[in-house]
Amino acid sequence: MSLLATTPFLPMKLEFLPRLPQMLVEVIFHRLGAPEWLVSIAGFIVAASTVVGVFMGGFALLSLVERKTLARIQNRIGPNRAGWFGILQPVADGIKMLTKEDIVPAKAEWLLHLAAPILIVIPSILALGVIPYGREWTPVPLELGLLFFFSVGALTELSVFMAGWASGSKFPMLGAMRAISQMVSYELPLIISALGVVMVSGTLSLPVIVDKQAGFHLGFIPAWNLFTPWGLVAGLVFYIAAIAEANRCPFDLPEGESEIVAGHMTEYSGFKYALFFMGEYLGLFAISGLGITLFLGGWQAPLPGLGFVPSWIWFFAKLAVVIMSFLWIRGTFPRVRIDQLMRFAWLCLIPMALLTLPAAAIWHFAGRGLLGWVTTVPLLLIPWVIITVIYNRRLSPSTRIYRFADS
Amino acid sequence: MIPLLILSPLILLAALGAVWKARPVHAALLLALALALNAVLYLVIGADFIGLVQFMVYVGAVAVLIVFSLLITRPGDEAEEISRRPRSLLPGLVCTVPVLAVLICSISRVTTPSAGEAPAFSVEQLGKALFTTHAPAVVTVGVLLTAVMIGAALFARDPGKKPQTPSDP
Repeated sequence: MSLLATTPFLPMKLEFLPRLPQMLVEVIFHRLGAPEWLVSIAGFIVAASTVVGVFMGGFALLSLVERKTLARIQNRIGPNRAGWFGILQPVADGIKMLTKEDIVPAKAEWLLHLAAPILIVIPSILALGVIPYGREWTPVPLELGLLFFFSVGALTELSVFMAGWASGSKFPMLGAMRAISQMVSYELPLIISALGVVMVSGTLSLPVIVDKQAGFHLGFIPAWNLFTPWGLVAGLVFYIAAIAEANRCPFDLPEGESEIVAGHMTEYSGFKYALFFMGEYLGLFAISGLGITLFLGGWQAPLPGLGFVPSWIWFFAKLAVVIMSFLWIRGTFPRVRIDQLMRFAWLCLIPMALLTLPAAAIWHFAGRGLLGWVTTVPLLLIPWVIITVIYNRRLSPSTRIYRFADS
Repeated sequence: MIPLLILSPLILLAALGAVWKARPVHAALLLALALALNAVLYLVIGADFIGLVQFMVYVGAVAVLIVFSLLITRPGDEAEEISRRPRSLLPGLVCTVPVLAVLICSISRVTTPSAGEAPAFSVEQLGKALFTTHAPAVVTVGVLLTAVMIGAALFARDPGKKPQTPSDP
């Protein structure tokens, strides 16, 4: 609190804005004469509520922005009846979801059927807790933050399976099978591509990883992990694998509406269905946040001289850019097939992700300068060209021949 | 001590359920629950790294593997229940009794450290130990796992068929 009062400039005070609720509650509890452990527990609860509140708001906003953006890509107007510019659409959606009937199929296992949507939201919220959003704002600064993120994410696969199996129906089962095989395959490149950052930073703590990306090359290129040879490859692999982990188009086979209705969510209605959506969007926020932390410099400003802007604004600006790119991809790419999906993961992404590890090691020991560039660029570029050539020659879909429609 | 007293019966119950449940999927999920509670136990006693790795490996990989193989190998007869009568009592005993004996023997030999300060530990130390003093073991396990993966790929491949190209309309 004293820090807040003595810092001179307004932007410096804005830096603490997201922590204001926590500080206020701690001060009030102190004034009331509460014991120390109660103060810290109350502070933690308020800090967690701040994160959940911010991302619930983000979820509501994103559901509207996504529908509007997709509509514009498809030359439609999109939701425009609820409020000005459709701004109240999330509220209308929420009321609709909450008042719908909750249907449990007769053949479903009610306990697992109930537990699945709850278990799918928990890991996303837990994962959001360890990400550093600003210089002064890391809700839970864990020393093993990265490991924690991937550990809690492991629960998602099992809960998707529970949802698919407990529904006692064919489409959910198919969707769950697809989801598990996809998530297991794409979790490998996701984790391996994050390992390079751990090797170079020498830590698993996410705030420290962000700190190590401070500064600028040549005065204007930010020293983010993305702007290194191994970081560029690992970042791209991470980006693609993150889209697949979030089950978003073009990797949305588990819920492909036109094939298997909604996959594991087919037999859900009302609030449970909304929970699935919430888990999916919160997971999207979490994995984008992790990607920004690992490769895009976290809350660091993109240009020198912009450090006066509160750092969490930079984080959320980057988050908005990344999420908009996801929306753009969803609006433009067709869904891939399951064999293409698997082949892409095992033949392209995993070899490239594995190659970033020796490249990161060389980069670390070659002094991160010109020598590093000279040695790691060929190491990554040559296999990439080979993989691309083989993939395009032998495995990519050839031009479709229409036997009967051509005339 | 209190978290230990709450957690251990829960772990035991989940493990017993995993053994006794009739439907294989229930058994697999209860096993996952037991393993997850084990991870919580590790976290409670301060072994953060082991707890998180336990969760990632056992809940994220092993449980998913079990569930997935259940689905692939027995897709039709989900309703079929494993017989409660121990048809394979003798082989079961032959497998479990020596393991139990070894476990009891090794647990009884461990000297309990004095209750006090937890030993200082960091991931850095663990990594250094793994790649210097225990490097042969790590390399051996790595070679073994690679061999297993290649073997599995060879078994899974249909020998008569070329890899199909996804070009047929």
